[in-house]
Parts: sequence; C-alpha cells; structure tokens
Amino acid sequence: MILLLQQILNGLIIGSTYAVVAVGFSLVFTVLRVINFAHPDIFMLGMFAGLWGAHLVSSNIVVVLLLGAAGAGLFGLVLEQVVIRPLRGRDVLMTLIATLGVAIMLENGMALIEGPDPVAYPTLLPQAPVHLGGIAIGSRQLANFALSLLVLGFASWYVRATRYGRATRAIAERPDVAAAFGVNVDVIARITVVLASMMAGVAAVSVGALYGSAWVFVGTLYGLKAFIVMLVAGNRYFEGVVAVALGLGVVEALVTGYISSSLTDAVAFCLLILVLYFRPDGLFGSYAI
Amino acid sequence: MVSWGFWQPVIIFSLLNVVITSGLYITALSGQLSMATAALAAIGGYASAVLTTNFDWPFLPAILVACALGAGCGALLALLTIRMRDFILKLTTLAFGEAIGVIAFNIPYLGGANGFSGIPLYTTMPDVVIATAIAIYVAWCFDRSRLGFAARAVRDDPVAAAATGISIAQVRIITFALGTVLVAGGGALSAHYVLFVTPSQMGFYFSLTYIIFLLCGGMQALWGPLLAAMLLTAAPEVLRFTAEFRLILYGGIIVLVVLWRPNGLLPRRAIGAPIMQTPIGSRHE
Repeated sequence: MILLLQQILNGLIIGSTYAVVAVGFSLVFTVLRVINFAHPDIFMLGMFAGLWGAHLVSSNIVVVLLLGAAGAGLFGLVLEQVVIRPLRGRDVLMTLIATLGVAIMLENGMALIEGPDPVAYPTLLPQAPVHLGGIAIGSRQLANFALSLLVLGFASWYVRATRYGRATRAIAERPDVAAAFGVNVDVIARITVVLASMMAGVAAVSVGALYGSAWVFVGTLYGLKAFIVMLVAGNRYFEGVVAVALGLGVVEALVTGYISSSLTDAVAFCLLILVLYFRPDGLFGSYAI
Repeated sequence: MVSWGFWQPVIIFSLLNVVITSGLYITALSGQLSMATAALAAIGGYASAVLTTNFDWPFLPAILVACALGAGCGALLALLTIRMRDFILKLTTLAFGEAIGVIAFNIPYLGGANGFSGIPLYTTMPDVVIATAIAIYVAWCFDRSRLGFAARAVRDDPVAAAATGISIAQVRIITFALGTVLVAGGGALSAHYVLFVTPSQMGFYFSLTYIIFLLCGGMQALWGPLLAAMLLTAAPEVLRFTAEFRLILYGGIIVLVVLWRPNGLLPRRAIGAPIMQTPIGSRHE
C-alpha cells in the first residue's frame, strides 16, 4: 500500500512537468492553430538560460527561475515573429515542419556550445526527505511539484479571469469573429507564445534542479509526451490537459514500478490508441480546427 | 574532390528514401498522412532480416514477403483509423508506430534493444536503382489512375466522393496498403544495406523525416517529394565540409523552404503558368 502511494506520488510529480509543457503546447495550438514542435526545445533553452544565469549571476533559486523564464520567453518572442507569424493560416503540417526545422537547429546549435552530453546543473535546493503519513518524498520533488502547480494555477487564472484570457478563449472559439469584435489577434498570439514559453522555462529550471543535470536533447523526452497529452485530452479544457498529463505520469510510474520499465511507453501508446478510437476528439473535446 | 566511395552510400540512401517517400505519397494522396512510416519500413526490414538470416531464404522472396507483410500492416492501420478525422488519424498512426517500436524492443528473438544484427549484405547499387524505378513507376501509374483520382476526391471532400459512388473505406484501405508495400520494401532493402535493424529507428522523429520530404517537396505532385527526398537525404552529407554546422544548416534549409515555398518545392501548377507563380489549389486548414 505504501509502495503504491509512493508510485502514485512519483507519477504525479513527473506528470506535473508533462502538464506544464502540454498546456503550453495546447495554448499555442488552440490560439494560433500551430503545432509548435520547437516548444520542447524552448523548454531546453530555458533550462540552459537558468544554468548560465546560475553561473554568471547568482544561484539563488528565484533568480535562476526568472532567468530561465526570461530566456525561454525571449526565444518564444523571436520564434513567433520570424517563423510562426508568416505561416499563420497555412496548413497545420507546414508549420509543424517549419518549427521542427527550428527544433533541429536549436538542438544542434546548443550541442555545439554545450556538448551533446548531459551537464551538471546547480541543485538550488537542499535535498531532505519530507514525510507525509508514512510516504517519504524529497524536498526537491515536492518543490518541483509545487512550482508546476503554481505555474499551472497562474496560467489558469490568466485564461479564465483576465481580459486577455477572455480574448484568448474567444480566438480559440472563432478567430474571425473574435477579430470582428475588436480582439487584436496578433497581440494575443504573441502574448500566448511568450507565456507558453515562459511556463516551459520555469518548468525546465525546476526539472534541471530536480535531477541535477541539463541536456541539450532533453526536449525529446517531454515533447512527444506533451503532444500526446494534448491530443488525448483535446484542447477545449485547460484542466483536462492537466488531468491527462497527471494521469499519464501516474500510469507510467505504476507500469514502471509493477511491470517493467521497458513497457512504460507501450502502455501509454496503447491507451492512446484506445482513447482515440472511442473518442476521436479527445477525452474532453476539442475546438474545431 | 570526393570519391565514388563517398558518393555511393549517399546515392543508395537517397534512392531508398525515394522508394519509401513514394509509398508515403501514395498513402497521403487519400488524405491519410501516416506518421508511422519509419516503423512500417522497419517492419519490412525485420521481416526480411529474419527470413534471410534465420531461415536462409534468398534475397528476392524475402523482400517480397516483407512487402506483403507491409500491405497487411497498411490495411490494418487503415481499418483501425477508418472513421477518424484527419488530425486524429495522424496521431493514431503515430501511436501505432511507437507501440510497434516498443513491442520490437521487448521481443528477445528480434534482438531486443540492441536490434537485429548479422543481416547478410545483399542490396547493391543496381538493386536499388531497379527498386527505385519500380517504385516511381507504381506511384506514377497510381497518380494517373482511376484509383488515384478517387483517392484525391476522398482526401478533398469525403462526403462528395461518397455521393459520386466512391467507397471511401475501400479507397483508403487500398491506398494505405499499396503505399505501405513500397515503404516496407524500401525498409527491407535498407536493412540489407545497413545490416542491422533496431527498435530506435522506428521512432516518431524518424517518421517525421519522411513527412519533411513529402511536405518540403509539396504534396500536390509526385516529383516534388521524390526530389526533396533525394536532396534532403544528401544534404547533411554534402554539407559535411561544414562539420558541426551541418545539422543546423539542415534545419535552416527546412525552415526556409517552408517559408518561401509554402506549397513545396514543386507544386502542381496550372498548364502554361510560369514555374515560380503561386500555385493553384493550395490547401488551407
């Protein structure tokens, strides 16, 4: 029983990072109709922006988080301006390929600078076991989870409770009608990409600190999962994406713990095929594209 | 400058990718853009590798069995996704590819994570040239056939296609199976040249390279994807003199092609229209 709870907790912690990346992915897809395959690599850039910040400025956790978010956000801004904006309204697949090209450039460009192997990351927080009713959990794991929830909470508040968030939802529903009602689609699109990038940057610093290492190809670990989570959940409900991401984390942890770590991905993909067979619009429904 | 020894593998890989891309083109013509190409190619590779290595089959029958197996897998995938919309279909094929990869990973008979090695070297330059000619001929005939036009109708407007008496299910199953025959055949030939097959080469990112070929070339006409497959396979090798920058340049080329030629390198153009003019019938989603 303790083992089961422990595994579920581990799964939730991994799933919370999937959730942050997947929500960013989903926000950009919903608002811009663009599958941003560079998003996982913006995550990676945020991780390294934090790493450089820790070396050059200060290894205070708040400073590193802010620098990670700033680095990722800045690149998101450039990406939106140079690649995504000219391609808006085109076939979804063309933007997928273009952002994939950007992802290839980013990964190999960073590999030139940082090398293709994982590098050490400042741990930022002391590691001490925290006991929650018989289950031991590391303080860094807990911090990672809390930080992800904080970021998701912020994004949820932004989308549900602010003027810009309302405009964002309007664009998701019908971009043309939203524009006719005076929503500045270009500005909202830019804000969305930058916001999603900054969320990824925060999650990346937190993951780097959790595992004590940064890797230029880390995006490949999270990118595919985030993509799948977005499509299983459907992009209509933000909270649905989060729920599916956490669920995927738990399923993975349970399969790893009780069956075999080499089957982890197979189970996830089989579940995916089943869900899509019976609910082609995702579990919680999607906006018409 | 550079010798035949350098160019020969580059040309062989380029042509093998042309074979696989022509299969993907056939499949995609009916609107079923498969994201499991690498996995389907590797299925062909595994089949042919097992038959020749463990059962001492000759080369040609092994390749034919690999193609037949490909047809079966293609038809199965088409059946699985028959009711799905465009985007979800892509995702399901993606999941299928990844799942096949993980299954191969867990079968010790196929070498598990290390892959299947010790495959005899059979594929030579003439074989590859013949296979490419066959693949291009099949794709070209299909492109102009009744079935090819039916496939385009199903892609562009399934409801209207059904109203004119086209059986959507039949067209989709046949095109997927036919395309996968070429994909699996290309994969089998490639296995007898590289001499090993591993589960890691079935992954999503490998499948995406074929989709890059298809889209950079342009999905409207057969020659675009085939040209893109040749050029983009050779590009990283030809750019080798730029050392570490070659993959960055490769990524850059893809981005520029998409930004400047949004319908691909060689889109279908109106009769008599100049080559650089914006093509007709560009599909928007």
